[in-house]
Amino acid sequence: MINVQNLNKNYGTTPAIKDVSFQIKQGEIVGFLGLNGAGKTTLMRILTGYLPFNSGKVFVAGHDMDHDHLLAKREIGYLPETPPLYPSMTTVEYLLFAGQLRGIARKYLQERTEEVLAQCDIGDVRHQPIGQLSKGYKQRVGIAQAIIHEPSILVLDEPTDGLDPRQILQVRHLLKRLEGRRTVILSTHILAEIEEIAQRIIILHKGKIVADDSLENLLKTADGPAQGHKRLEQLFLKITA
Amino acid sequence: MKTIWVITQKELGDYFKSFKAYIILLITLSVFNVFFFMILEQNREASLRDMFKLMEFLFIFIIPILTMSLLAEEKRVGTMEFLLTAPIRTNDIVLGKFLGAAAFLTVLLVLTSVYYIVLEIFGDPDRLAIFSGYCGIFLEGLFFVAVGLLTSSWTKNQVIAALSSYAIIFAIYFSITFIQYFEGPINAVIRYLSVWSHTENFSAGLILTSDLVYFLSAIGLSLGLTCLSLKRRA
Repeated sequence: MINVQNLNKNYGTTPAIKDVSFQIKQGEIVGFLGLNGAGKTTLMRILTGYLPFNSGKVFVAGHDMDHDHLLAKREIGYLPETPPLYPSMTTVEYLLFAGQLRGIARKYLQERTEEVLAQCDIGDVRHQPIGQLSKGYKQRVGIAQAIIHEPSILVLDEPTDGLDPRQILQVRHLLKRLEGRRTVILSTHILAEIEEIAQRIIILHKGKIVADDSLENLLKTADGPAQGHKRLEQLFLKITA
Repeated sequence: MKTIWVITQKELGDYFKSFKAYIILLITLSVFNVFFFMILEQNREASLRDMFKLMEFLFIFIIPILTMSLLAEEKRVGTMEFLLTAPIRTNDIVLGKFLGAAAFLTVLLVLTSVYYIVLEIFGDPDRLAIFSGYCGIFLEGLFFVAVGLLTSSWTKNQVIAALSSYAIIFAIYFSITFIQYFEGPINAVIRYLSVWSHTENFSAGLILTSDLVYFLSAIGLSLGLTCLSLKRRA
């Protein structure tokens, strides 16, 4: 589904992504893990076609991001770090706008909007201006716009950042419901969360991939007495030391 | 094509939702009304020539306020990422925004047609001159909108966007005032670049190809530069 080959990206003269290669198969749920500034957001922005890169190849659903970026973008739903919302629009207006931009045919648009309103549990704020919503609602409206066109790939940058425990649970439930149908890439620095959702983990450190394996295998390599997510934490701290 | 229209609708909707539209309409139309009757009383002439001069002058101050948020606000709020990762061309985004502001300008100009109706009822105006005058003022307005869109693409800060477009529009508009201090080729260049030399013919009832070329290429250039500036991100 996603194929990245020898990707390099510099901001000016500072390298942000250094020779990164990986492949993600259809239906996989992959967690990007890394310290702040490790390159998670940069990598996601490149995968979604927001940022150009310096060298390498990025294929999304078989489309070259360099040449066929419109076809590639069609396959992707993306929730950036801060949900990209227009404060003056109501939830419904915003979702209709997002749907139209993603090329949903007019006759399905209303129906799809109702579906995502229900899926993301935001039907009760449908006519409220987004600017007045709480953070948890905003985040879920952000997820709703990412899935409205039923993309085959979902890219979520820290989907639970800044939410309270109940809201985190709601978002996690939502992601669980999407499982199996879509390829999902998410980043977070909450280890427990990644353990619960992701099947495969890619650990980034200073712009490079330092670990890429299934959760089980990674936990096997971690030695020490710790159990559960403490174990992953230990491993993570060791790798990124 | 469809996406351009979707964005145009959104921009036009934003103007009327944020009250910006009503305030701008209220201010400009009040000024126009007062001056329309003053000019009429003084000139005793069934013409809108001086009105077009006034509109032009007011556009210089109003249009940067109209355009400053178009792209700068998207950058500040983070919705630029949303637009640029949607399966749409950057050109369509720029064109959609441009047409949104252009549509508002059209609304404003259509509302001034009242003055023409008044002239038509009480006098015998030169219809051709009024038509060409409107063409000129409309093209000039579109040019200023395109400049405003360009400066809005440079920054996240609306105030900086507005100030930059003031700087550019002032230079284009007022440069002719200083033309006497220059000689030779520079003089000719300034004369050509200044909008004054091109709106003059329109208000006299002349639509010349050279003036159309000037405005259309200036608009095209500004929009092209805006696309480039959006594509060149980090």
